[in-house]
Amino acid sequence: MKLADFQSLFQERVLAGSGEADKPLLKKLRSSPRGATPETLLDVYQTGYRIRLADFVSQDHPGLRAILGDETFEALVDDYIDWRPSREPNARFFTTGLPDFMRENSPWRDDARAVSMALFERATVDAFDAADETSLAVQALADFTPEDWPRLAFDFDPSLTLLELAAGTVRAYDAAINEEEAEKVDAPTAGDQVEYAAVWRVAHESAYRQLEPDEYVALNEARAGQAFGDICQMTAFQQAGEIAPERLAQCLSSWFQDGMIIGVRVRDDHSSNTPSSA
Amino acid sequence: MEKPAPLGYGLGLRPVYYDEILASRPPIDWFEIISENYMLAGGKPLAMLDRIRADYPVVMHGVSMSLASTDPLNFDYLRQLQALAERVQPAWISDHVAWTGVHGVTLHDLLPIPYTRESLAHIVERILRVQDFLKRRLVVENASTYVSFVDSEMSEHEFVREMAERADCLLLLDVNNVFVSSFNHGFDPIAFIDGVPAERVVQFHMAGHTNNETHRVDTHDQPVCEEVWALYEHARWRCGDVSAMIERDDNYPPLSELLDELQHMRDIDARIANERALSAA
Repeated sequence: MKLADFQSLFQERVLAGSGEADKPLLKKLRSSPRGATPETLLDVYQTGYRIRLADFVSQDHPGLRAILGDETFEALVDDYIDWRPSREPNARFFTTGLPDFMRENSPWRDDARAVSMALFERATVDAFDAADETSLAVQALADFTPEDWPRLAFDFDPSLTLLELAAGTVRAYDAAINEEEAEKVDAPTAGDQVEYAAVWRVAHESAYRQLEPDEYVALNEARAGQAFGDICQMTAFQQAGEIAPERLAQCLSSWFQDGMIIGVRVRDDHSSNTPSSA
Repeated sequence: MEKPAPLGYGLGLRPVYYDEILASRPPIDWFEIISENYMLAGGKPLAMLDRIRADYPVVMHGVSMSLASTDPLNFDYLRQLQALAERVQPAWISDHVAWTGVHGVTLHDLLPIPYTRESLAHIVERILRVQDFLKRRLVVENASTYVSFVDSEMSEHEFVREMAERADCLLLLDVNNVFVSSFNHGFDPIAFIDGVPAERVVQFHMAGHTNNETHRVDTHDQPVCEEVWALYEHARWRCGDVSAMIERDDNYPPLSELLDELQHMRDIDARIANERALSAA
């Protein structure tokens, strides 16, 4: 048997388990001098593959396990491993596709609160090893004149992800990672109720906090390159019930304090790519 | 045979020990990293590695080069590996006599091959291409295996010797893997160690494994067992001054227990050095 044919057969045994398709492979195995059956020895590879991947998913998704319960969570992980063999040299990235798998496949797509938790947890994992940047202190704004403010635009840390989640997702995650008893973990609310969250990295650890709806809109727009003055004029922000520039300045201050901002620049009216001045 | 200078007694660098290593600067001569765990855009793993690298020599040990796979070599992976090597400046880069998947799939395991002339020609050609790409000699490790094949045309140590000589690569002798595979397949582990070209061995791995009675599995979750220590002694007699280390990947003990294992290694080596000196006198 050619090496390529052997490897295809062996891989199929690892992915699919024992069955009729194994027969050509079994003929190629030497007997164990210790009396182990060929199935037992091949199972070392098969179970090892599944256990390794399941461990990675479990490490990355404590909140999902908490709201689904062990049995359902393990069924989800089994489905996911069957659906998508790993293609990443670094197994850490195997879990990246889990929220998309859940959104696309029954019965998981029907559980909006579970999909929401999976998305949130993926963001925390992605933030952990996103590219390194140096955040700016709020004092960086001192370099700009009051006339510059309407045209100020901001660059954000590459670890930052903004999420619209099922209401209760962040609370349920908090409870899970603090190992509160399962019955005390409120599952996120299914249906139309939503909450907003930012996930990013501070001092080598993933960080997150909930956002008010107006801050979520402002942060999304600021991250898209909109200038301070343009965001103040946005209808959604005007409806926040406070004087828009003051509220936005309050948000901006917290983004600096949270370590989310890595650059400030004055947007040219004719171009959004004026070089950073801080 | 030109080889990198021995580094002494090392440990596999694992996140669970970052803080203690940085706080106490334990008496470890060098660290081995799992390359793939640091092939990232940024974040804590790379930051910790940079700090530890500032004080200790580091070698890079990969598990995904898939040297024996019949898939094309993954040059995206090799470019990332090269970029990490430029950052880390490792004493050497190693991977395994194994494959990890075909048809684009990665099984995250070190899978066995039949020891045939076809397999040999295939892995030699790939090691040569990797060495050309990385512009350095590769260090290649014997893997633990649980099945063996009727198609094999030579023993594992004959395969490893021929591979190393034809590819002109260096070797990482995993003493625990020799023991595990010898148990599972019924060969003599001493003959294996005597059969590999000692002049090409630059590193020893020592680790624990799980005894399932009919087979043993390379789990790295236990202390090194007595049989493997005995085999280590033989490997040390045969290979001389080679960098040696402990691998631990699960069921992590306090760091002090791993330091005790390194001390045990030092004690064995001191005794061997004394015996050598006496026999030379």
